[in-house]
This record gives sequence, C-alpha cells and structure tokens, in this order.
Amino acid sequence: MDQAWILPAIPVAIFIVVALFGRLLPRQGDFLVILGGLTVVGLVFSMVPGFQGAFHEGHFAPDGANAFSFDWVNIGQGFFIIPFSTYVDAITMVMLPVVSIVALMVMIYSVGYMHGEARYHWYFAVLSFFIAAMLTLVLSGNLIQLYLAWEGVGLASFLLIGFYWERQSAAEAAKKAFITTRVGDVGLMIGIILLWRATGSFDIQDIIAVAKSGQIDHTYLTVSMLFLFAGAVGKSAQFPLHVWLPDAMEGPTPVSALIHAATMVVAGVYLVARFSPVYAEVLIARDVVFYTGLITAVMAGTMGLVASDIKRVLAYSTVSQLGFMFVALGTGAVGAAMFHLFTHAFFKALLFLGSGSVIHATHAQEVESLGGLRRKMPWTTTTFVIGSLALAGVPVFAGFWSKDEILAATLEDAPLWTYVTLAGTAILTAIYSTRLVLLTFFGAPRDHHAYDHAHESPWIMLGPLVILATLATVAGFFALDQVGQSLGFVGGIGQLVFLEHAHPFTEPEWLLAGIATLGALAGIGIGIAYWHGDARRAVAARQWAPDLHALLVNRYYMDNLYQAVIDRVILGLGGVIAWFDKRIVNETGVDGGAQTVGYLGYRLKFLQTGRIPNYALGMAVGLITIAAIAFGKQG
Amino acid sequence: MIPIQSFLVLSALLFAIGFYGVLARRSAILILISVELMLAAVAINFIAFATYRDPKAFSGLVFALFVIAVAAAEVGLALGIVLRLFRERRTANVDEANSLKW
Amino acid sequence: MTPSDGYALIALCLLPLSVSLVLFAVPSGRRRIVVSITGLASLLMLALSVYVFTRYSFAGQQFQGVLAWTWMQHVGFLGEKGIQFKVGVDGISASLVLLTGVVVVPATWVTWKVRDRMKDFFILLYLVTAGVYGSFVLLDLFFWFLFYELALMPMYLLIAVWGSTRKEYGAMKLMMMLLAGSIFIFTVIFALFTHVGAGTFDMVTLLEAKKELWFQRAFFPVLVIGCGTLGAIFPFHSWSPDGHAAAPTSVSMLHAGVLMKVGAFGVVRIGFQMMPEGGAYWAPALIVLGATAGLYGAISALRQTDMKLLMGFSSVSHMGYVFLGLGTFNAIGWSGAILQMTAHGWMTALFFLLIGGMYDQSHNRDIPNFSGMAKQMPVWSIFFIFASLASLGLPGLSGFVAELHIFIGTFRAYPIVGGIAVLTAAITTTYLIRMLAQAFFGEMNPRWSHLQEITWLERAGAAVLALAILGLGLWPAPWIARIAPSIINIPGITL
Repeated sequence: MDQAWILPAIPVAIFIVVALFGRLLPRQGDFLVILGGLTVVGLVFSMVPGFQGAFHEGHFAPDGANAFSFDWVNIGQGFFIIPFSTYVDAITMVMLPVVSIVALMVMIYSVGYMHGEARYHWYFAVLSFFIAAMLTLVLSGNLIQLYLAWEGVGLASFLLIGFYWERQSAAEAAKKAFITTRVGDVGLMIGIILLWRATGSFDIQDIIAVAKSGQIDHTYLTVSMLFLFAGAVGKSAQFPLHVWLPDAMEGPTPVSALIHAATMVVAGVYLVARFSPVYAEVLIARDVVFYTGLITAVMAGTMGLVASDIKRVLAYSTVSQLGFMFVALGTGAVGAAMFHLFTHAFFKALLFLGSGSVIHATHAQEVESLGGLRRKMPWTTTTFVIGSLALAGVPVFAGFWSKDEILAATLEDAPLWTYVTLAGTAILTAIYSTRLVLLTFFGAPRDHHAYDHAHESPWIMLGPLVILATLATVAGFFALDQVGQSLGFVGGIGQLVFLEHAHPFTEPEWLLAGIATLGALAGIGIGIAYWHGDARRAVAARQWAPDLHALLVNRYYMDNLYQAVIDRVILGLGGVIAWFDKRIVNETGVDGGAQTVGYLGYRLKFLQTGRIPNYALGMAVGLITIAAIAFGKQG
Repeated sequence: MIPIQSFLVLSALLFAIGFYGVLARRSAILILISVELMLAAVAINFIAFATYRDPKAFSGLVFALFVIAVAAAEVGLALGIVLRLFRERRTANVDEANSLKW
Repeated sequence: MTPSDGYALIALCLLPLSVSLVLFAVPSGRRRIVVSITGLASLLMLALSVYVFTRYSFAGQQFQGVLAWTWMQHVGFLGEKGIQFKVGVDGISASLVLLTGVVVVPATWVTWKVRDRMKDFFILLYLVTAGVYGSFVLLDLFFWFLFYELALMPMYLLIAVWGSTRKEYGAMKLMMMLLAGSIFIFTVIFALFTHVGAGTFDMVTLLEAKKELWFQRAFFPVLVIGCGTLGAIFPFHSWSPDGHAAAPTSVSMLHAGVLMKVGAFGVVRIGFQMMPEGGAYWAPALIVLGATAGLYGAISALRQTDMKLLMGFSSVSHMGYVFLGLGTFNAIGWSGAILQMTAHGWMTALFFLLIGGMYDQSHNRDIPNFSGMAKQMPVWSIFFIFASLASLGLPGLSGFVAELHIFIGTFRAYPIVGGIAVLTAAITTTYLIRMLAQAFFGEMNPRWSHLQEITWLERAGAAVLALAILGLGLWPAPWIARIAPSIINIPGITL
C-alpha cells in the first residue's frame, strides 16, 4: 500500500515518452499508453486483497497506508511543511477501479475512434497525463497535492476539449471550461488555506481529526467547508457553475466518456465524500451541498429533455446524476453517493462510447436527423439500450441500485418534498433516456445520407462497449452484502464504501424500490408513448409549449447571463481601469508631471531677458542683500 | 593728516556714481567709463587703508597697481567687444544687444 | 560556501563588464567573433550562477563567499572600513543570481538575430548584465549603487535605438522614472551612512548597526518609493507597459525578467534587512499597494490587445504579488515573494522571447489580428501555452509554488486580502486564456500563412526557460532551503 505512488508514476512516464517521441514510435505510441493502463488496472486489483476481511473491525487497516511521504516544502525546520503523501482507504478503493477500468476501456476504444486523426500521439499522451493526475488526485493524502492533481486533471480536460482547436466552438468551449472551473478552484484554494490556518496542517486526516474534535470555531469551519465545496461545484459542474460541461462535449467522444462523465467530474463528489466527517459537523454547509445537488439535478434533467445533440443529452444527464450524488452527500449518505458514482461511471461511460460509435458511423450528432440505426448497428444498439436502462433505473441494472439508495436516503433524512422532487427527476431521467434511444436507434431513418453511411463500428470499439455493458448490468449487485462477503469483504461493500455509519445493504427496502421501479417504467412508458421513434413528435413538443421549450433550450438563460456579466461588468470594469491607467495614472500623473516641468521651464526662461542692465541690477541687488545679511549678523 | 573718512567718503561717492552709471546708462562706452570709476574707487580704498594701517608696507599699493592693470586689460577687451557690437549692429546701445537669452 | 567561492561572485560582476570592453576592440563586421565571445560568456555566466547557487550552503552563515578589498579608508568622513569592493551572497541573492544566469543565456541567443549593430547592442546589454549581477552580489552600498545605475543607464540607448513602436517615448519615460527613483535610493543610502556613523558603506556593518526607530520609520517608505519604482509597484508602474512594449526582445527579457527584481531586491536588502522595524511598521502599506497592484494590473490586462502591453500589465500584477508577500512580514509570505521573483522572471522572459520571435516576422502584436496560430507555428504555440499556464499559476509550474506561499502568508496575516489575492489569480486565468483562445485556437487567419516557426536558437532558449520553470515548480525544496534561513534572520519577522 505504501508503494501506491507507482500508480500515477507509470502514466506520467508514458506521457513524457509519448508526448516527446510519439511521432517516432510505431503506431505513434498508443500501445504504450494502453500498456500503462493495463498495468495500472493490474496493480489496482493487486491492492484489493489488502482490503479483504479487515472491515468488520470498524477500521480498514492495510499496514503502512500512509508510509509514503516526503516534505515538498519545509520552512523553518518543520514550522511550515507541505508534505506529499499517499493515502489509501475505502473511498480511494472505490475510485481506483472506476478510474483505471474506465480509462483502459476508453484507451482501447480510442484506438478505433481516433484512428487517422492528426495529433494522434498527442491525444494519447494527454490521456495518459490525465490518468496520472486523476490517480494522484484520489491517492493524495494532503490537500496541496490534491489541488495540484485537481488542476492537473483540469489542464488535461482543457487540452482535450480543445483537441479540435481549429474549430472556433472547441476553442471557446475549452476556454469556458477552464475559466469556469478556475472560479471554483479559487474557492477550493481559499478553503484549503482556511483549513490550514485553523489546523496548521495540510494532511487530510489531520484536518478531519482536528475538525471533529471541535477545536475550530463553528462558523469558521462552516465557511471553510463552503469554500471547499465551491471547488467541488466548479469541477463537478453543479449549479451555478454547471455551464461548462455541456459545451465540453466539443472534445472527442471518448474523452467525454472518461473525463466528463466517469472520472474528472466526480472529483468534486470524491472531495466532499472525503470530508464527509467534517460536513457532518457543520450541517449548514451540508444543507448547501444538498440543495445545490437538488437544484442541479432538476435543472439539468429538464434541459436534457429538449437537447437535440446526442452528446449534450448525455452531458445534461451527467450533470443531473452528479446532482443526485451531491444530494446523497447532503443527507450524509456517503455510501449511497459513492455507490452511485461507481455505477454511474460504468453506464455513463458506456452511453458516451455508444454515442461515439454512432457519431463515428454517421458523422451526425443531432438526434432529429438520426433514427433507425438499430438495423445497421446491432451491437451498439444493444449496449446503448443497456446503458439507458441503467440510467433510467430499471431493476437489475446498476443504476437502479444506487439511485434507489439515494432516494431512500432522501426520504429518511430530508424533507418529503425533496424526495418527491428527486423521484420526479428520476422519472424525468427515464423519459429523456428513452427519448434518446428511440430517436437514435428506432423508427424510420430520417437522414438517409447519414443512414446509408452508417456501419457497425470495428471490434476494437465494440469490445469496450460490451465489457462496460456487462459492468453496467452487474455493478449494482456489489451492493448486496451477500455478494460482498462472497468476494471476501467481511463487512460487505457497504463498509468498503464508507466505514462509519455504513448503511447496510443486506436487503432492499421493497416499498421504495417498488416505487422507484414503477417510476422508471412509467418514465420509459411515457417516452415510448410519446415519441415511439417519430421525429415529428420532437417538433411537436417544441410547438406544444414554445416558451417553456425556449427556456430549456436556452438553458435557463444562464449562459447568456454569464456572458453578459463577463462582457458588461468584468470587461467593463477592465475598460474603466484601463482608461484610468491610461488617462489618469499615465497621461495625467506621469506625462503630466513631465509636462509640468516642461511648462515651468518654458515660463521661467523669460526671466532671462538678455538685457545687460537687468543682469547688472540683479547682481547689484544680490550683492546688497548679501552685504546687508552679513552686516546684520555682525550687528 | 587727512582723516581716512574723507578718502572713504570720496571712494564711496565715486563708487556710487559709477554704480549708477552702470545701471542707468544705455551706451556701452559710458557703462565702461562707469565701471572704470568703480574700479578707481576701489583703488582709492586700497591706498587709503594701506597708508592708514602701515605706511611702510606696500601690499595695498601693489593691489592698487593690480587693479589698474586689470582695469586696463578689461577696457581693452571690453572695447574690442563694443567695437564688434558696433560693427554688427551699428549701435553701442546695450538695450539693443539682447540676443543672449532663451 | 567558502570565502574562496567569492571569486566566483567577483567573476560574475566582472565577466560581463570585461566582455563589454573586449567587444569594443572587435570590428563591427565580424559578427562571428561577437557571437562566439558572447555565447561563451553567457554559458560561463550560467555555469557560475549554478555554481554559486549550489555551493550556497543553507547550514552556514547568512552571508557566504564574502571577499573584500578596501578601496578608500580614513579619508574625510570615511572610517576604518570605508568603501570596499565587497562581495557575498545570502540565500535570497543566491537564488536571484541563478535567476539571472538562466535568463542571460536565452537573451544572448535571441540577440544574435539583431541585424543592425549587433556588437554595440551586446556592449550595452552586457553592461546591464554586469549591473544586475553587481546589485545582487555586492555587499557595499557605494558599489551597489554604482552597479545599480550601471544596470539602468544603457537601457535608454537599448530601447531608443533598437526598440519598436513608440520607442523614444517609452525609453524616455522609463529612464526618467527610474532615475527619479534612484534619487530616493541615493538619499536613503547617505542617510543610512550618516545615521549609523561608522564611516563605512559596508552593508554587513550597516545591517548589524543599531538604527533609531524614527529613522527606520522615516526612511523605509522613501526607499520603497525608490526601489519600488524599478519593481513597478503601483502607482509607479507606468513605465513598465510602455517600456516593455518599446524594448527589443532581449532587453524586455532581461528587464522584466531580472532588472525589475533588482528593485524588489533593493526593498528586501536595504529596506527590510537594514531597517526591519521600519519594515514592520510599513508592511500593511505594502500589503495595500501589493494587493492593489495585483488586482489593478490583472484587470487592466483584461482590456489590452497588444501582447507586450498585456505582458507589461501582467508583470505589474505579478510584481504586486511580490510586494504583497513582502508586506505579510512572515516567513511563508516572504518565501513566496522571493520565489515569485524567480518564477515571474523566467516566465516573463519566456513570454517576451516568444512574442519577439513572432514579432520579428509579423511586425504585429495585436491579439485580435491573430487566430489559429497553433496551426502555423505549433512549437511556438506550445511554448506560449506553457508560459501562460505558468503565469496563471498552474500547479507543477513555478508560478504556483510562489503564489501558494504568498496566498498562505497573506491569509495568515490578513485573510480578506488573501481572498482578494486568490481572486486575482482567477482574473489572471481569464485574460491569459482569452488570449490563448483568440490568438492560438480557432481557424487560422490566412494573413499569417507566411510566418515561419521560431528559429532553433529561440526554441533552445525557450526550452532552457521552460525547464527552469518546471524545475522550480516540481521541486522547490532547494530554493526554499536557501531562502528560508536568510528570511528568518530578519529581526521581528514572524515565522
């Protein structure tokens, strides 16, 4: 466990090699990256036995979990230390398989999807860099290292969103993503420093220990945790910083699957989960998490209902599902949140890769111009449907189990109306995922050009789809303690996810599960009844409530609002300051000073008349004055 | 012996007349003459004090000789300048020679 | 570091000076000779700088490698020590010596592109270099001021002769403001000399001597105005954008990269180290000025379209961080301030190198005129993006380490100001990323299809700077280990 630093070290090394020499390597070095991914997956699974059996004792105890550490910065012989350390615990052990498996699938898939692209090696190099940063993020034992990795994944996301930078829209999207998340990161940075100020440490476990001991002022702690949450809001695309994620779909589709669905965007969830013992101390901050998640889930769900770009629908769905996770965190059900993170990673990656398969085949992304693809692309269709069922929360599939947990937690620990809202959003999820499937794969083909062009994707792309579809089907069963125990985790997976106050998953609560199932099926039913593969219905929906439709299509006008704020307020302020600097400081102050001196010189030079009597008079007056002073002193 | 005050008053009068001439006259020649008057006043001062303090010492008289020599040199130089000025401007009026400015 | 290492310090002052003198003797037409002399000299300076930095041992005394020759003593008001040619470094100046060494090499390389009177350019450039090194390693205020002025004077000619755009205006403004600052410094130096009354300009003596509280409080702000002008502290920053915009590439690199740090270093050495109580008294004012400059420069930069002007305002903003860090008057903020000098020096030198490499061909620096440059000049663009990321404080690059320390130090002293400083970092991101998105991404503007990739020399120079940025960003411990003990030695500084 103390050798966990090797995990990110491998992809970093590969990143350097491929980025610098990728062009010279055979196949531009993609096999190196995949090999690295395979090694990481292997190493992650070699770590799993260390966790077996230990949980029933109430603490996970692989020896030397924190053994690896060194001082990155040390001022005054230990007065101010920034250590680098790895920390592996249950939450990490949920993240590691998710990151490594999805990453490997995406890498393999990319070999087919990105085939023949310019900058092929650069794509793989950045992918490798991203994985290194993501692994560092989940392994880091202290906040500075976490921040470092946090920005690292942000950079990788920026570079990959802007991968097709020749497109103006991609450049804009990359810019938007970077700046928006950076706003959140300001909060994260402030939060980290505030926590350090109170505890004198950057070590996450130290901070949690001090915070739980109640030594920190309650208000101060609340403010700190809110700032920390701001970072999570930015990275996990929560309201009001959610605007960047839908635009981020400008990147290559496998990237959307890996970074903007399965791994990077859940970093915020991971952060809040990591600090959940502290959030449990400051309930106001936790309520903020809860309501932020709720607002986001509802907003994004409704926006997903009208989006016409296949990837955007999935992006809204991702934002919405992340909202679900934050809702769970807000009720304190960390287990449920991490579980949903776990299952969501698989089925959402599957959906994105499936949509990538469609885009690869048809070069079209608008669902209204697709349709009927199931005859041409049976494998893609099957796996996509499985993913949608999981997303909709149909029993057996992974999403059902985790979403059910979140709903149960909401009913238990939150006002009833929030439960109703969230359940409604779950139905909404089922509706829009059904819509997506129907419009894309069923009905009659609407754009014959795209349809004729379509073909099933090569096996190197279908393989990952099948594996992910399998995982999207079975990942939910991990929740059952019986399954967990049979895999060697004595306390079951419930404790693997979160040690304290672990929610036992021995048996589902049948009533809630029944309601959820009914909801999901009802949603699917509504979807089928309404659309059943007919594009004209999509148009009809637009005419049915044009105002509402416009509101949703324009994303509640939040993008416009932000754009206006940036254009008017921030750039306006910039203009004012720039004007101030140019006119007042420079032209009035500096140039004005110089001009004053020049003007004075011009005025004073007229004292020089050139007339000898004037000079003589001046001399005389001076002489007399001096003489008078001299005599005056004597007298 | 004539009291020293008489010499001093004479010298002061001469100096004042010369000073007035320098300030009030327009003609370069007259200014020059006024300067000579001032120099003469200084020379009288030197001689008076020298004789008054120690009649046997010559230092004051030597200074007076110096003054006369400097005055002669000065007049030579100044008349040269005035001559040039007159050749250039057809006038010896110093008010018109005011280009040495700005 | 043993005293004999002081010869390396002397060599650092005298090598560029003697190169200038030797170049007088070289015929102007023989470019090859000029190139080989300067190339050799710059590498030698880098080697010496690295040597000084690595040899400085953080376990020893504060000033190391101290060597002194008496120049004048027992004359008039001079006492036993009088005026000495005395060298020696502490941890702070050792790190700045390394900064200079790394900037000088690429600055020399890009100067080889100068067509017009390259030899004369180098004579002046190396005079500046000598002045900068002298300001860092000399331990006698008399010679310190001499070398300080030596670093300023050639700037006028360098900008006015070889510059671009409004070069006469920029050069004159820069010179006038910096010389006005010199008057303040001069005043403080002589006030210190007479107040201490030991009849010497020796810095160590002046540092250790007792100074009255009123004296320290009265003269500290005078010095801050003087040195702060060179450090582009708000509101005396106005020379910086225009001066940088007008200066030729290598002069911008050396000036923004190193010379501005001489100003901040003056505040550290003469201000805080010699008048610590005055520094403690005025530190809140520095906080205000620094935070204002940071925010002000960043917001102004939002509206700049000329790349060099943008960098000029960015420099104002980043130097604001330096003064902010100094104003915290605690060891963390100070470490950040010293690191920021190095970090900003390399980063901004890289920026000016790249902008120059492009401007030489396009004669245009207006950001809205460009788009999609990453297609035409990929290597250039990669370096430019790298520099931008360093500038906006991406972790793993030098800017982050420095800013992190400054933020933490500021939060320790004044949490609200710390919040403003962190917010400034977000604005920095905004103007840099906006520039990247506009100029480098998107469809290529066919107007620039004639532009060539930057030359191999420029790539090599950029690579040197990029490696330095990465090194400091990933492994700051060697810097911290040298800087921190010297900081803690300052009386009254909080840990």
